[in-house]
Amino acid sequence: MLAGGSSDRMRRVPRSRSGRWPLATALLVALLACGAQQPPPAPDDAAAWAPVATIPPRAAAGTSLRRIQDEGVLRWGVDPAGGAPFAMPDPRDPRRLVGFEIELVDRLAQHLGVRSEPVPGDWLALIDNLKAGRTDLALNGLEVGAARAEVVDFTVPYYRYGQQLTIRAADRERYGSLADLAGRRVSVLNGSASVEVLLAAGWPEERIAQYDDSLAPYVELENGRVDGSLAESIIAGYYAAGIPGLYSLPETFSPGEYAGALRKGEPELRAAIDAALARMKQDGELGRIYQRWGVWSEQQAEIGIARGPEVAKLALASPGADAGLDWGLVLRELAVATGATILLTAISMPLAVLFGLGLALMDRSRRPWLAWPAKIYTQVVRGTPLLVQIFLVYYTLPVLGEAIGLGKALVWPAFAVGILCLAGNYAAYEAEIHRAGLDAVPRGQREAALSLGMTPGQSLRLVELPQSFRIILPPIVNDLVAMIKDTSLVYVIGVRELTAVALGIGKARLIVPQLLVAAAAFYLAVSLVADRIGKRVEARLRRGGTPKAGLEPGRLH
Amino acid sequence: MSREPAGEVILEVQGLRKRWPDGRVVLDGIDLTVTGADVFVLLGPNGCGKSTFLRCLNRLEDYQEGRVLLRGEPVSCGWPAGHMPSRQEQAAVARLRQRVGMVFQQLNLFPHVDVLANVMMGPLHVLRKPRAQAQEIALAALRKVGLEERAADRPGSLSGGQQQRVAIARAIAMAPELILFDEPTSALDPLLVREVFQVIRELASDGMTMLLVTHDLDFARDVADRILFMDAGRIALSGPPDQIFASDHPLVRRFTGG
Repeated sequence: MLAGGSSDRMRRVPRSRSGRWPLATALLVALLACGAQQPPPAPDDAAAWAPVATIPPRAAAGTSLRRIQDEGVLRWGVDPAGGAPFAMPDPRDPRRLVGFEIELVDRLAQHLGVRSEPVPGDWLALIDNLKAGRTDLALNGLEVGAARAEVVDFTVPYYRYGQQLTIRAADRERYGSLADLAGRRVSVLNGSASVEVLLAAGWPEERIAQYDDSLAPYVELENGRVDGSLAESIIAGYYAAGIPGLYSLPETFSPGEYAGALRKGEPELRAAIDAALARMKQDGELGRIYQRWGVWSEQQAEIGIARGPEVAKLALASPGADAGLDWGLVLRELAVATGATILLTAISMPLAVLFGLGLALMDRSRRPWLAWPAKIYTQVVRGTPLLVQIFLVYYTLPVLGEAIGLGKALVWPAFAVGILCLAGNYAAYEAEIHRAGLDAVPRGQREAALSLGMTPGQSLRLVELPQSFRIILPPIVNDLVAMIKDTSLVYVIGVRELTAVALGIGKARLIVPQLLVAAAAFYLAVSLVADRIGKRVEARLRRGGTPKAGLEPGRLH
Repeated sequence: MSREPAGEVILEVQGLRKRWPDGRVVLDGIDLTVTGADVFVLLGPNGCGKSTFLRCLNRLEDYQEGRVLLRGEPVSCGWPAGHMPSRQEQAAVARLRQRVGMVFQQLNLFPHVDVLANVMMGPLHVLRKPRAQAQEIALAALRKVGLEERAADRPGSLSGGQQQRVAIARAIAMAPELILFDEPTSALDPLLVREVFQVIRELASDGMTMLLVTHDLDFARDVADRILFMDAGRIALSGPPDQIFASDHPLVRRFTGG
């Protein structure tokens, strides 16, 4: 299988998102609804390869080129999860990104006299990040199309792709073209151009199986749930080729082009990038990169790309299983990512408990102007998926901020957004726990405290909360363990935590199962430790031994 | 403990009226004068409003009409239903509660801290005494009720009677001008009642002013300087114990089963 070198192949970016496809769709809707425009949907994924806090101070339109040159950095948006061979973590050192687009932009940046800094983000939100000013260029298999052209300016195209059909090798005699599959279920990448191709060919929607990730359509084909899989040829050339038993028909059709996306109104930047790209296309530099990554095809000549001198294909450019994969390094990376997971939880959970207490107290207030906001907050937050909240805060809030004249004030770093969303979301649940806990403290306790002349605040602090806390500790520990796992959701905004790192490495080398098992083991270990610690604290409180410092007057012994 | 010259007016209640939110009248215009160093015992059938009246005095319950004076100083007055007390009003209520101790039927010790901490809580956090001094006060109060040696124990490890004695120590550690007892022995095993009464008796002989709700007629007769009979939200009858118990008022006869 595998599309030979002669056809154009391409797909763009892989999108992947491991577990939560349905949510991703919901998000989409939310994003589209809130963000107005937005390119045709496409899914997502992200991983995080860049220190999260690198948000350039935004300059006025038209001055981006000068700012980029002043700072010496071209920040560009890319989604490295499942992104082979466009952009993916280097299996030899997962902290680095490799791929033909990584090389392309590295060279492009050199031509501009700056260095390239990939800013990872969900594929679906590359343009949001561009508009929010987190990046100055989005270049990651974005197909040139009219809808997208309404919201961004495109550079000159840098790649020409076609659609490529993959079937099971055993069906080679039965299916020789897309037409032969009429009436059969065909799998595609959700939101990709392949969907439109199938619709145009008369496929009813229920016979188009859409997946949010580049690999899944082929796995479904292999498993026999669908009879064909259609994708841009780079994807077929990489992912389908990695699965024995699949066969990609050599012909490609319905060609299109990839180009970089820029914010509208940046003529200088666009001219500079176009000039650099034109040079790279003509002098064989780009052709050489494509050869190295096994994505060269003769069609590239149609958009003016010279093939350049013959070079050998990189080993990395094929999903050659784990050739060259250093498991020691991978495990070390997973351990580091686990640190990020722990850090997220360790910061978010205490905040959630505190914020939840505030909400619970507001909710119990007799004053409606305090009680109602808390009730509404709790209902809304508990009634919407965390993943949607993360997307809204990270991608939609900046657009909203811009619209209401706050400029870039609402553009926050991914890590901070992760903490904010986790803490804010869990606070709603902790509020309910606090409420139940405070209700469980007998009324007489408060009366006794008040009858001593304590203020309601003192009664709460000295008498009610210490007792309530003992009651609610088990459910809080339970939520703590849940949060450890929910931190995996922030990988969609590029925070490099455990899931992001595991999926990034796994998808690049088609060893997702192994990496997921490894990641699961790390999650399990952290959860067990957290649970253990929680049980200890509980036991200690139960023994009654530990008046908390500051909560209690002195003791005799 | 505070020792009042007998006869001085400590607490004065004028025309106190309270309705439940459903409109039912529970206290129907109560006038009462409590004099220093005296023990006033409130008797009456269940539901006549005794406990509610007591709780109105330190504002654990709101009331709608009337007012309460402490040593002639107005300390609280009726609020219309649903009134949100201002900051000043809340502070005034807190001050009132500092001066008027309360002992509950349900004990209500703080289970999460030890006995000493229970008794120190008021002096330390409300009276804002230095820790050492608060501890001294607390230990003295515990000594008073005979439980100094249990200072480091958790309330849960004490018997009900001992717990109630700690609650009394907690009240007297605030050096109140008046202590309200809301059926202090009703939740106790009969065998434990005696030790609590003994402590109250001692306080009485020390000259502590007390207002007590109880169902124990013998104790009332024994400790009271004055008996108040409540019925249907009013004080129907009041006087020295001998006189009250000798009376053939139908209320008394019904109550004493005589």
